[in-house]
Amino acid sequence: MSGQTWVILISIALGTYLIRALPYLWMSRKLNKQSAQGKIASTPIWLTILGPTMIAAMFGASLVPVEPSPLSWLATVIGCGATYLVWRRTRSMGYPIVAGVLVFGALIVTLG
Amino acid sequence: MNTAAHSLLSSPWKQGAKDALPLLGGYIPVAVSFGLFSVQAGFGVLETILVSAFIYAGASQFLFVAMVVSGAPVWLVIVMTLLINSRHLVYGPNIAPYLQKDVRWLPLMHLLTDQIFALTLTRMPHMTPSDRLRWYVSAGVIAWLSWILGTALGAIAGDELIERWPLISEVLPFALPALFLVMVLPRCTDRRWTITMVMATSTAMLLKLFGFPNIAIPAAAICGALAYYAIQVRSIDEGGRS
Repeated sequence: MSGQTWVILISIALGTYLIRALPYLWMSRKLNKQSAQGKIASTPIWLTILGPTMIAAMFGASLVPVEPSPLSWLATVIGCGATYLVWRRTRSMGYPIVAGVLVFGALIVTLG
Repeated sequence: MNTAAHSLLSSPWKQGAKDALPLLGGYIPVAVSFGLFSVQAGFGVLETILVSAFIYAGASQFLFVAMVVSGAPVWLVIVMTLLINSRHLVYGPNIAPYLQKDVRWLPLMHLLTDQIFALTLTRMPHMTPSDRLRWYVSAGVIAWLSWILGTALGAIAGDELIERWPLISEVLPFALPALFLVMVLPRCTDRRWTITMVMATSTAMLLKLFGFPNIAIPAAAICGALAYYAIQVRSIDEGGRS
């Protein structure tokens, strides 16, 4: 790797870290300041909405199969159905995921 | 009772490890692909591993390698990769209320990926403040190491791995949508939140399908938030008229 590529790598690594750390630091200081002033420390409402919608967006983006085909779409829908059913029963995180992956994998292997 | 509150283990270390396990299904196959892609593009094995360790952001790593190899200008490579990662801007402020005042959180922000953010936002509200750091270190480090290990595997033996177990890279990534689904479901507590989450999910899926994977997440999240406010405004309007 050339010297120039190292410079790019370090710049991106540092930039990415700052993108993750600086907004946290800003909010953390804001909350501490509010507490010190005797106010109730609170996050802006738009931010508390954007957090869950980010997760929903990640869910939507991850639904597109690695290799899209009628079978992989069918397996995705049924796999999600299995995940949902087990979640409704257990209200946990582990078992629904295992069930979803097993159903998805079984469909890909048996029908593929 | 929601998902997160129902199944917490006694030890935050164990809980973090347990929560991070589904991430490996998504991380390792992608990391193997990145390792293979980077080595085939002319990067060395150690260099490839360092890219994963230091940048630790999937899509931008692929873009970094592709742009460097194509001879793109330095400033353009940096700007484009940071633009892709700019969605991370909202993660820190969202989880800040759950993190106690402790300087150790600062270096740990390196571990704040999309998936760790989603897990953190789901788990931390149900944890005691003293457990949060240990839980985050456990989940975050396992995810980070799996990314590095997957990259190393891909760089060293990616060809052979994909040839021998082609189904692994097709089946295991389903752990990610399954994980996100169990995080989305507890949020759908009323009509407004359900519509909001469906809007964000469907927008992201459509954007990715139509070839805009890099803007899919931030754009869809904004659409979801707009839907939330639109429903609120409509409810107020209807309440005012009646």
